[in-house]
Amino acid sequence: MDILNNLVFGFTVAFSLQNLAYCFIGVLLGTLIGVLPGIGPLVTIAMLFPITFNLPAVPALIMLAGIYYGAQYGGSTTSILVNLPGETASAVTCLDGYQMARQGRAGPALAIAAIASFFAGCVGTLLIALAGPPLAEWALLFGAAEYFSLMLMGLTAAAVLTHGDMVKGFAMVVLGLLIGIVGTDVNSGMARYSFGVPELTDGVGFTVVAVGLFAVAEIVVNLELKEAREVFTSKITGLMPTGKDLKDSSWPMVRGTAVGAFFGVLPGTGPALSSFATYLLEKKIARDPSRFGEGAIEGVAAPEAANNAAAQTAFIPMLTLGIPASATMALMLGAMTIQGIVPGPQVMISNPDLFWGLIASMWIGNLMLVILNLPLVGVWVRLLRVPYRWLFPSIIMFSSLGNFSVNNSPVDVYLCAVVGVLGYILVKLECEPAPLLLGYVLGPLMEEYVRRALLISRGDPTVFFTRPISLAFMIATLLILVVMIAPAVRKKREEAH
Amino acid sequence: MSWRGQIPALVAAALLGAAQPAAAQVSASSAGYPGKPIRFIVPFPVGGIADIFARVIGQKFNDAWGQPVIVENRTGAGGNIAAEIVAKSAPDGYTLVMGSIGTHAVNVSLFSKLPYDPVKDFAPAALVIEADGLLVLHPSVPAKSVKELIALARTRPGQLSYASAGNGTASHLSGELFKSMAKVDMVHVPYKGNVPAITDLIGGQTSLLFATMPTVLPHVQAGRLKALAVTGSRRSPATPELPTIAEAALPGYEVTNWIGVFAPAATPREIIGKLNGEIIRIMQLPEIQARLANEGAKFVPKTPDEFSAFVKSEIAKWAKVIKESGARVD
Repeated sequence: MDILNNLVFGFTVAFSLQNLAYCFIGVLLGTLIGVLPGIGPLVTIAMLFPITFNLPAVPALIMLAGIYYGAQYGGSTTSILVNLPGETASAVTCLDGYQMARQGRAGPALAIAAIASFFAGCVGTLLIALAGPPLAEWALLFGAAEYFSLMLMGLTAAAVLTHGDMVKGFAMVVLGLLIGIVGTDVNSGMARYSFGVPELTDGVGFTVVAVGLFAVAEIVVNLELKEAREVFTSKITGLMPTGKDLKDSSWPMVRGTAVGAFFGVLPGTGPALSSFATYLLEKKIARDPSRFGEGAIEGVAAPEAANNAAAQTAFIPMLTLGIPASATMALMLGAMTIQGIVPGPQVMISNPDLFWGLIASMWIGNLMLVILNLPLVGVWVRLLRVPYRWLFPSIIMFSSLGNFSVNNSPVDVYLCAVVGVLGYILVKLECEPAPLLLGYVLGPLMEEYVRRALLISRGDPTVFFTRPISLAFMIATLLILVVMIAPAVRKKREEAH
Repeated sequence: MSWRGQIPALVAAALLGAAQPAAAQVSASSAGYPGKPIRFIVPFPVGGIADIFARVIGQKFNDAWGQPVIVENRTGAGGNIAAEIVAKSAPDGYTLVMGSIGTHAVNVSLFSKLPYDPVKDFAPAALVIEADGLLVLHPSVPAKSVKELIALARTRPGQLSYASAGNGTASHLSGELFKSMAKVDMVHVPYKGNVPAITDLIGGQTSLLFATMPTVLPHVQAGRLKALAVTGSRRSPATPELPTIAEAALPGYEVTNWIGVFAPAATPREIIGKLNGEIIRIMQLPEIQARLANEGAKFVPKTPDEFSAFVKSEIAKWAKVIKESGARVD
């Protein structure tokens, strides 16, 4: 009953008028800034961070958490409406969400994203309250070898992400990988492919790649169309999801939550991988995988649930061990330090009002997000009626602003334009951007982990098979390969007979 | 509430940051300084110790002088991008940088070509913080003192691994200095920043780490890490029971992390003096002293000349360590 008592205590903290107000302000500000194209949670929090300097610790963190969810959801909104992901986690939402919007179903897509996020948020919050500390301990078992094997499994499964042409899909993964390894090599400190540009020694930023590849390229392609389509979409069929939509989304939502909660706890992977992973899973088990990428509602519900579940469980290592699982969490940790709270395992005991109050306010924040956003769906959808000649320049302007504000760097804005041109060429060549993005995200991480694992094992490659968790992932990778190859082999044999 | 004023300032900083040409429009007369907003560039991300103190100092400048200070985080290339911007700004006191041991002592030896000269291009205004590092071990490593650790490393050459926050960081160079002074062989495992290095050390993936005190102290108190010694020249008030590495085993060993405010070279001496005096006043306020203790850091007032001499001695010291270790970044 301890947990129940603690939760009740947490709710009494969170339900004070002051804390409720800060939670609401946080969610509202987060949504408003996060909905600006190209501005993700990290930038939003960094921008609004100094506001919380002069608040006491509990409201400050509650407000930051609110900003975080708000910005995350805001990012999904732009992904769906204008194909503009604010961060890695919402890039996957673009794939089907934007297609739904093109078909006039932006309303249901936005609503399902809000509902899936809320569901995942509830489960995530409960998980933190019930099993935070043991989960954090378990996550510590993951070393470089385990992360590498996990990602190898992910990349293998990603083969199903490609539509049709396997060669093109593979080429895109490799291209993404090449873009990903631009920057300073962690092991040797050498700059790779930086061409003497200091900004490139830190690599090509995610916003640069995602915004260029999705939004800029999409706009260029659209401008090319001569047809008299003045507004984005003229027919809008219903703002709210139908019963069938809800039914179709319910299991993907549950699976997405489970996958997201898993990845969120692991420091070093975070929400980004979770949404990719769950999208792949849904596509693999779907009766008709060809619907994915063409506006399948499952393709919105699952990744949205996953990234929100991961966003919640990412608090577990931060709150229980003082280890941030992502750059955003590192900022939250910084906020605690500013407030004079020493982050770490003792926070739960030394500042119970903060720990349980924050957990309770997470749930409240998620609820506010739904209350705030469901009525707003209509407003956002109306945005799509804005004529191209207004919509496109504003998207480009806001994306440039967003890109600039990540590092206050003009080079990032130029780079984004270059990536936009690349994206346009890829569209012309009928190459998919999603595998490229996956290669870009996973490639450098895998390199970092495989080299670190070998460094720690003094060059002994058996380390991937002698550590139990790593071995399990390796076996799973093999199984996936067999499952993927077997039907193809059988087909060949039948053809031969 | 003061945050109302801060949002527009922040947004303005984001919007105008690049638009402002580096050359100042007005030549400053030091008598009326500051007569317009000051641009304070931080080469590190929001929320880190350099950022926090830049904002605190900026707020106090504003309170005292009535001119806003716009803190601009300009990360990248080990802080070199930010340092270069200030090096090439007008020397009028309206563009400042929060320099560090990295930007103004280590990088000049570490990078094959640096776009600025840490001595010739800057007028050091004030040293802000000095922070000791802590030598921490995973509890499974059988060593209870620095001497035992050295003995262990000698019996198992190349088997202990030390994590670091990345190539050329203070935590890497602390390890290299340790290796060369103790004449032991340990494998260097670099990470992207302090946090993943600490996470893996807690998980027992690596054996030891030299880290800044506030980042690891909570884990030591929770028993997840074992602290052996501090890297500074004197014991730290936060951990009076821990010896320095110098007194425990390696006389002469000293690594201190520091940050300080720099203006472009040729900034009028009166402006530098005004900045120095104000920063010394701010850093000695009780609330700031409490915050420093919290961070395991300290403030020792230095005049601009003393600070300048300190920077030169740091550059010489790290040039030697970097040469011996063969560390390099391009």
